Parts: sequence; structure tokens; C-alpha cells
Amino acid sequence: MDNFELLFGLGFVAVMLGLGFFVGGATERAHFKRLDQREQLTRDIFVTQLKSFPGIGDSGPSPQAFFGEAIIASDYLKNFVGKLRKLFGGEMRSYQKLLERARREALLRIVEQAKEAGYNAVCNVRFQSADIGGNNTTAANKAAVMAPILAIGTAYVRG
Amino acid sequence: MILVNTETIPGFRIASVKGLVQGNTVRAKHAGRDIAASFKNLVGGELKGYTELLTESRRQAVERMTAQAEQLGANAIVNVRFTTSAVTAGAAELYAYGTAVVLERAS
Repeated sequence: MDNFELLFGLGFVAVMLGLGFFVGGATERAHFKRLDQREQLTRDIFVTQLKSFPGIGDSGPSPQAFFGEAIIASDYLKNFVGKLRKLFGGEMRSYQKLLERARREALLRIVEQAKEAGYNAVCNVRFQSADIGGNNTTAANKAAVMAPILAIGTAYVRG
Repeated sequence: MILVNTETIPGFRIASVKGLVQGNTVRAKHAGRDIAASFKNLVGGELKGYTELLTESRRQAVERMTAQAEQLGANAIVNVRFTTSAVTAGAAELYAYGTAVVLERAS
């Protein structure tokens, strides 16, 4: 009976790790590919984090701030690898990629909105993280491991 | 209403400063979304429900801030910033603030 439970437990973990490896890995690769494609499509938009509107023209609509939000979830394998990594220390690459995806996605959402509204440049880009999972609270039921990123930038027309 | 997160805008002059305006909100999604998020946490990918939560919160906070600025007779808010705080798992406080000003096109 005990053996059966142990086997069942191990089987469950194996299935979840497999799910993380195959589904999570495929989702991540697909997301990176989409990010690359969308970044190529919006390459004509000039993006800086300077406050000074470099190269602003005299004409066109007045500058306008745009916001972008993105929250990317971790998967079972990433969490597992993360826990292992915590034993030995060092760079947590699985989580680093998560944050990279969230930041690129949030920035792209700003750039795409700006492009749609007829702007060709974005300045003063700022990133910020939020805590939806409640990791900084004492809540007993912490939500999923995730990377929530908020971004803001001011769109303008470059002459 | 012009919203920017810079202090000044080239081509515009600040005619008068109306002062700090702010808006905040704490929102949560229904429990179904939280359960869906915990499943999503097994396979990875974007948590669309929570992204929506942030977008709605940001919109509401910005709306409240804009309403204050309108009441003060401003036509723009400069140096818009926002910040978040963790209240509890699955909820987010979003606080937007900026300086309400009257902008004029510099001729």
C-alpha cells in the first residue's frame, strides 16, 4: 500500500515535470519567437528611456503616455529547478527568462499601441514589477509563481 | 487630457501648475481566475486574467487621477508615475499620481 502511494506520488511529480518540460518549454520557445517577430515589425519605432524627447518634430499629435502590462506564469519544472537552485545558489536562469519575457512583452505592448496611434518614438520608458502573488504579504495562500511587469512610456512623433 | 511621464514637453509651455493629482484602486479577480492561475502555474504561459486585472486597475486609477485634474481645470498631467503594493494574494493596489498643469502650445 505504501509502495503504491510512493509510486503514485513519484508518478505525479514525473508527469508534472514532463508537462513543464514539454508544454512549458514549447510555450516559452513560441513566446520568444513571437517576441522576436513583433520586435522586427516595430523596429521603426525609436525607443529610449531618456526624458528629453530626442529628435522631436514640430508637427504631429501631442505626446501621450502609454501603459503596458504583462504577467508570465512559471511552470512546474521551473519551480522545481528553482527550488534545486536554491540549495546550491547561483543564477536562477529559469526565472530570469520569465522576467525577460514579461518585460519584453510589456514594452512591446506600449510600442504597438504607440505605433497604432500614429507615433514613431517612445521616450522615458520605465519598468516596474507588481506583487499579485502576495509574496510580500503574510497571506497563507500564496498565489502562483509569476513575473508581473508594468511599463510606462511617453510616445511622440520624431521629426 | 494629455498624459505624459516626462516633466516637460517640447513645443509646449506650462502656463500654470495645479498641483498633485492621484488615483488608486485595489482590485481582485473572482476565485475562478485564481484557480485557473494555479493550473497555469503548472504549464507556464501568460496569466491573462491577472494581466487584465492590472490593466483594469491601471485604467481605473488613471481615470480617478484624470477626474481630479479635470476638476482643477487642468488640461494635462505631467510626470505621471504609478506604484503598486501587495495587499493580499491575487489582489493588487495600483496608485497613479502626477502633476496637473495647464499646457499651452509655445508659439
